Amino acid sequence: MRINVRFAGAGGQGVILASVLLAKAYGLGEDYNISQTQSYGPEARGGACKAEVVISDDYIDYMKVDKADVFIAFNQVGFNKYKDTIKKGAMVLINSTLVESDDPDHYRIPATAIAEEMGKPFVINMVMLGALTKLMPKLHYPAVEEEVMDNFSASIAGINLMAYEKGYDEMEKELEKREKNNTKI
Amino acid sequence: MDPEKPQKKDKKTAVLQGNEACAKAAIQAGCRFFAGYPITPSTEIIEMLSGEMQKAGGVFIQMEDEIGSACSIIGARWGGKKSMTATSGPGYTLMQEAIGFAAVTETPTVIVNVQRGGPSTGQPTMSSQQDIYQARYGSHGDYEIIVLCPSSVQEMYDFTVRAFELSEKFRTPVILLSDEVVGHMREKITMKPLPKDKGELTRIYASSPTEDFFQGAYSMVEGQLHDELGRRIGHIAPKSGEFINKICSKITDNIKEIADVEAFCMEDAEVAILAYGSVARSAMNAIKLARGIKDDRIKAKFRIVKDLFVRGVPATMQTDYSHLKVGLIKVNTVWPFPEEKIQELARNVDLVIVPEMNIGKYCREVRRALWDKTVISMPKCGGEIHSPNELLDRILEEVWCK
Repeated sequence: MRINVRFAGAGGQGVILASVLLAKAYGLGEDYNISQTQSYGPEARGGACKAEVVISDDYIDYMKVDKADVFIAFNQVGFNKYKDTIKKGAMVLINSTLVESDDPDHYRIPATAIAEEMGKPFVINMVMLGALTKLMPKLHYPAVEEEVMDNFSASIAGINLMAYEKGYDEMEKELEKREKNNTKI
Repeated sequence: MDPEKPQKKDKKTAVLQGNEACAKAAIQAGCRFFAGYPITPSTEIIEMLSGEMQKAGGVFIQMEDEIGSACSIIGARWGGKKSMTATSGPGYTLMQEAIGFAAVTETPTVIVNVQRGGPSTGQPTMSSQQDIYQARYGSHGDYEIIVLCPSSVQEMYDFTVRAFELSEKFRTPVILLSDEVVGHMREKITMKPLPKDKGELTRIYASSPTEDFFQGAYSMVEGQLHDELGRRIGHIAPKSGEFINKICSKITDNIKEIADVEAFCMEDAEVAILAYGSVARSAMNAIKLARGIKDDRIKAKFRIVKDLFVRGVPATMQTDYSHLKVGLIKVNTVWPFPEEKIQELARNVDLVIVPEMNIGKYCREVRRALWDKTVISMPKCGGEIHSPNELLDRILEEVWCK
């Protein structure tokens, strides 16, 4: 098994941190081999940002992602840039507040809206991570939860955990909705 | 050590960035003095050591520039602490003078160069292997140096520890030549604690490893050529020649011990890829693609694929090329050049491909060693590593189209 995951967004949205937490959850929590790489410009905020995670039960030789199995877009620019370098039938998760897509198969989560509703716009990456945890194979809620707890200082771990949980629940609801629609047909 | 104390676990698993692994390994290897000036993509080493070093009872200094950093680690080593600095391209250029001084004073110290694109300020956030010759020939004059080239986070950890061991053993500066991909990549690694006697290698050295700096032994740390007692001999030709031969031969005579060259699938290989650093990882994937699964049924398919390829249709990840006998020679100690080992590994090979993230520098050295084989350089500039498909395409091009 080799899962190629690609995150795309803007610098400052927490794209790389989300990818790191995913990698740690798989690597330490679920005991897979992981390799996380990233590319970004010289700016601190703004500008295109991309992060890649390879998850495998085998030794990982090539650590970059050519064609993604899982693609997560935080903003429209990132979505447009990388939407064509995904495999057929790849899983796509988009931040539906900022990204428009006409493919009904794409998973949507209004991460920016949820984060702003919480009054902390910077937790958008945790909302996305929560939704992603629900969708990823062989990944369990507590594995990621533990990494969120470990990687933040106590003062902000709470709000990040809340955002993570919200993303997870929201995606759970969305999946139930999809199931209902499918059974109707 | 108190035997009643609970023993720590033998193994420790963690997900770390390459740079963080390097910092942890330095502490583990007994480094207690670090001076540096932050520069992308090596900043994480400095960032981490700024906290960890003091916890370990060592000294961390953010110097005014890289010249100061490189000079201060030499001073610190003569003061009795194992020392290290970390930098990237432009900073490494500034350190050259001090590296020469470390070589002539036979100071054991470790310099980490996380390569980025150059020349000059170049590409701060992109990778390269352009400093491969600077690592060897950077400072003026005749000297030999040891350069280690890691390709994964685990290797970044292991090689940092080895760099300290080699520097102490051969009393020479050792360069850890990493690159942006390895430095910024996160992977799961196992941190092994060192055997106790190795962990406590820090001793007070003077003009020789056995003498104590403060006990009145003859000691003079001298940039001019000198004899064992530190007396200047720069004006005496035969003695100076002897000195140069001594500092060079202590490394060239021990290449067998220093050399670390790994081979993958080389037993029956007809084509070899020779790679170092992060590119070796792509090469390993390319070999898997090239070898595929061993199955006779594919032969029919193989003819079709060959026709397609010769007509200009590129190879894909899905195609199976199980007949292609390709192997990998992975060079971990790029300098001193492990000539004999490479010759031995490549003796049955007709064709050697050398992919590098520069204009094709190391290939010249390989060509010199493997003069009777076809050696093809596969340079790539711009800051991205070769993809396995690119390598595979090149192998097919050489095997089928010529």
